[in-house]
Amino acid sequence: MLRISKYGISPFILGCLFLCPGILHAQKIADTLKLKEFEVIGNYPVNNNGFKKVRIDSTILVQNLNADLSTLLSKYSSIFIKTYGNGSLATPSFRGTSAHHTQVEWNGISLNSPMMGQTDLAILPVSQFDGIEIIYGGAGLFNSSGAFGGIINLVSEADWNNRLNIDLAQSFASFDTYKTTLNVASGTQHFQSLTKANFSTSLNNFEYNNTDSNKVERQTNAACHQYGLSEDLFFRMGRKHFLSLKMWYSNNYRQIPPNISSENIYDPEEEDKSLRGIVEYKFLEKKYNITVRSALIDDYMNYRDSVEYIHKYYSSVNRIRFNWVGIRNLTIKPGIDFTYDLVDSDSYEDVKTRTNAGLFGEIVYDASKKIKLSLVLREDLVDGDLMPFTFAGGIQYKPLKKFNWSMSANVSRNYRMPTLNDKYWYKSGNPDLKQEQNVMVEAGNVFNFLTAENHLFMEGELTGYYSWITNLILWQPTEGNSYLWKPVNLATVHARGIEAGITLKYQIRKWAAGLNSNYTYCRSTNEKSEATTQDQEGKQLIYIPVHSFNSTINAGWKTFYVTYNFVYTSRRYTGTDNETYMPGYNLSNIFFGKNINLKNIILSLQLEINNLFDLDYQSIVDRPMPGRNYGITLRGQFKK
Amino acid sequence: MIDTFRINFRYIILSTFAALAATMTFVSCSKDPIREQQVDPPDPPDSTITFSDGCFVLNEGNFNWGNASVTFFDYGTETVVDDLFNTVNKRSLGDVAESMNIFNGRGFIVVNNSGKIEVVSLTDFTSVKTIEGFNAPRYMEIIDSSKAYVTNLYGNISILNLKSLEVTGNIPTSDWTEKMIRYNQYVFVTSIGQFNQATDARHPKVYVISAKEDQIIDSIVTGKEPVGMVIDKKDKIWVLCTGGWDGVEKPALYRIDPNLRQVEKKYTFPSDGTVPSRLCINPGKDTLYFLNKGICRMPVTSTALPETPFIETSGSNLYGLDINPYNGTIWVTDAGDYVQNGKVYEYSPATGALLRSFKAGRIPSAFAFTAAD
Repeated sequence: MLRISKYGISPFILGCLFLCPGILHAQKIADTLKLKEFEVIGNYPVNNNGFKKVRIDSTILVQNLNADLSTLLSKYSSIFIKTYGNGSLATPSFRGTSAHHTQVEWNGISLNSPMMGQTDLAILPVSQFDGIEIIYGGAGLFNSSGAFGGIINLVSEADWNNRLNIDLAQSFASFDTYKTTLNVASGTQHFQSLTKANFSTSLNNFEYNNTDSNKVERQTNAACHQYGLSEDLFFRMGRKHFLSLKMWYSNNYRQIPPNISSENIYDPEEEDKSLRGIVEYKFLEKKYNITVRSALIDDYMNYRDSVEYIHKYYSSVNRIRFNWVGIRNLTIKPGIDFTYDLVDSDSYEDVKTRTNAGLFGEIVYDASKKIKLSLVLREDLVDGDLMPFTFAGGIQYKPLKKFNWSMSANVSRNYRMPTLNDKYWYKSGNPDLKQEQNVMVEAGNVFNFLTAENHLFMEGELTGYYSWITNLILWQPTEGNSYLWKPVNLATVHARGIEAGITLKYQIRKWAAGLNSNYTYCRSTNEKSEATTQDQEGKQLIYIPVHSFNSTINAGWKTFYVTYNFVYTSRRYTGTDNETYMPGYNLSNIFFGKNINLKNIILSLQLEINNLFDLDYQSIVDRPMPGRNYGITLRGQFKK
Repeated sequence: MIDTFRINFRYIILSTFAALAATMTFVSCSKDPIREQQVDPPDPPDSTITFSDGCFVLNEGNFNWGNASVTFFDYGTETVVDDLFNTVNKRSLGDVAESMNIFNGRGFIVVNNSGKIEVVSLTDFTSVKTIEGFNAPRYMEIIDSSKAYVTNLYGNISILNLKSLEVTGNIPTSDWTEKMIRYNQYVFVTSIGQFNQATDARHPKVYVISAKEDQIIDSIVTGKEPVGMVIDKKDKIWVLCTGGWDGVEKPALYRIDPNLRQVEKKYTFPSDGTVPSRLCINPGKDTLYFLNKGICRMPVTSTALPETPFIETSGSNLYGLDINPYNGTIWVTDAGDYVQNGKVYEYSPATGALLRSFKAGRIPSAFAFTAAD
């Protein structure tokens, strides 16, 4: 077993899928709700046309400026984050699917490695992004194929009214953790520059209770250092031409700590370096517009213990979109995509490439004031092979004039290509793998409400979905050779669930209060197939909680604020026979802050307590998590 | 209408906030550590179980999950005691249990990825000592009443003092060593080569160690990955080589004369992608057993490898195999999909008929027998 794990990728990763809740309010009605009275413009409506897209409240981004994306999403979103420990590998999963079925995108460009087919959220700092969009299920087809769960899109945006904004923050936190971020935005009405830099270092040597030896021990070999630098340039020439250039370099080093009951003979460590760039040009006319976008990614990963493995990949992602509006309430958006990946890995026998050319079409039809329809069609040609035809169709119905209440439904068909590791990993890869297939239906409704004096805003959302996944790729020992594991299209998984969310915002005189709660129910089960053993049929996939809930309450008085965040995760099975499990747990986190407003400067001080009740827990079997821990952030913002 | 709503909403908000705050504080106060649990927690063994008439099944568990365990099966009552180490000693066994030896009323459980040997008393399975100081230990061989050798993944063969239960020294080697057999004053040890090398760069061999001097004195070259070794009644040593996990060579069975320290015969398996594993021998030491798409057996006098398995077991994922040294019954494990509890099957060596089966823990892989059944 040991040797297999050494050379292969863990075969179990594929089976590990999740779900969880969030501070997002879903499916905002596309009406404009002016919330000027509220301090923060959060959760602004996202045009949905029958699909679920939400945006994380910007207050949350500000309070978690120095966090990484996995921490942020695990506290506030309905995406389940499977984390191997503080700062260690953390992968997303929603709607009962695996990390491979969640696409993480940076301004629409996939960050999922073509090798692994997934993204590690622990090395993405929140301060790099101006907004986080979460796109659920079939809605992902508007961006790309393969995201059966959905897409997390990390956005950088220009504020054309900005002239100069300098934002410097320094955090000091438990376990010798220090983080610095500097964001500088400057420009005119025609030109904006965003410069972002972040640096962080942590020993991460937290204490944990080793329930085997009944001793308190310290996590070893867990340090991490990372820095990142990005530059975004936005140009606006007249009213018709928009050009943007974005560059982002990140460098991460981390040690990989042992699990509790093993001992590291060689201390493993990993280095990830990525350089990404996007050029985008937009030409706007009254009746049509054209967007041309081209991106390059250069990614380097070095893993070493007693042996060193280097994995490199280069991706070129290109997209052209046309957009015709106003032809009888019809918007038509045809487009072409072209992606080229090149992988040079110590674990492949030679350099491997993949080309993907796609034709894309999107139609939005405003049938009436009450009904909107949308349809997206996509056909990809991967390495010369025609992929399954994919589509998503949605309908939005808004029955009442006086209330912002809308109902949505959609159906989609999607596929996911095997990763290049699945196909070409040394000796194990299976070039004959087929695509995984997915059909999903979804229905939901959302309403929101704003009182006449704008004291109170309320929003509620309820969505249900059912998803059928077939040809799911599993790694398993080849017949007659338990030493050699290979990926095979074997499993059938059915995932269904309910997502519910509520948001309240209340403001009167010098007081402000807000509440956001999300609940998800998800049954994701192994169905009868070639691969199933009798003991796993109909059983919940491992590491996917059936129930998850999170809630964030914040209150503000003048310049003081407090935020209380609560996350509940139900039992997660650790065996496909559902005979073993990790018990459910809940975590509480709290923030206190104070802003000092000077002329052009806002100074703020924030105290953060994570795991408030010092819960002794593990998220993954045998991987320790820290107890109560603290952080202080000092921040200065200069605005002109 | 809007006004009525506003008033109602204020109440709703206030009560929602209050209720949520109260619930959260209440539910947050649980103090039990969050650790892996079983849906049906096994009971501690009852006092009638003596561990003298049954077998221990070692469940190796998943790599890096720390969920290795021991199951005891009592022949007479057919009682299955799961998770024995944990229920008796109130702590888990560790990460990847590789093998178990019985010596002087004690069980020695080699826990590979935890780098330790857990010594337990076989009267009640209580822990006697945790021995540390290995390099990812694999197998243990008793040399005499006070000395044992332990092979390691990352080099060196550890010398264990069976009285003080301490590692007292090493026989230096940079190689990954596996199985051992004592023959006169010598110990034969299979060596796969350096762990961190690729298969084609490794130099597989059988080392010959002088047990008096604790020194490697000779070696015999074998095929890639010699993972199994037994000695027959004519004092011939049989070595099973997988050919490499990545199929660098064809799998092969070698017959070695331990006196001449030479390969006498080599049986090569067909290259159909299947790889034989778990070489065992019956108590009469005249029949070899191994897994190869079923349970295969081969008389030591045979001139060729068996063409079909002795027992076909289609549909199950055969993983571990052992022969009860007291009466020759065949014990095999099914690891399922490796992420569920596995099963154990017992077959008759005479007829190949299934005698018994029971459920064990995660990835059952090895046995230690205490008596005939």
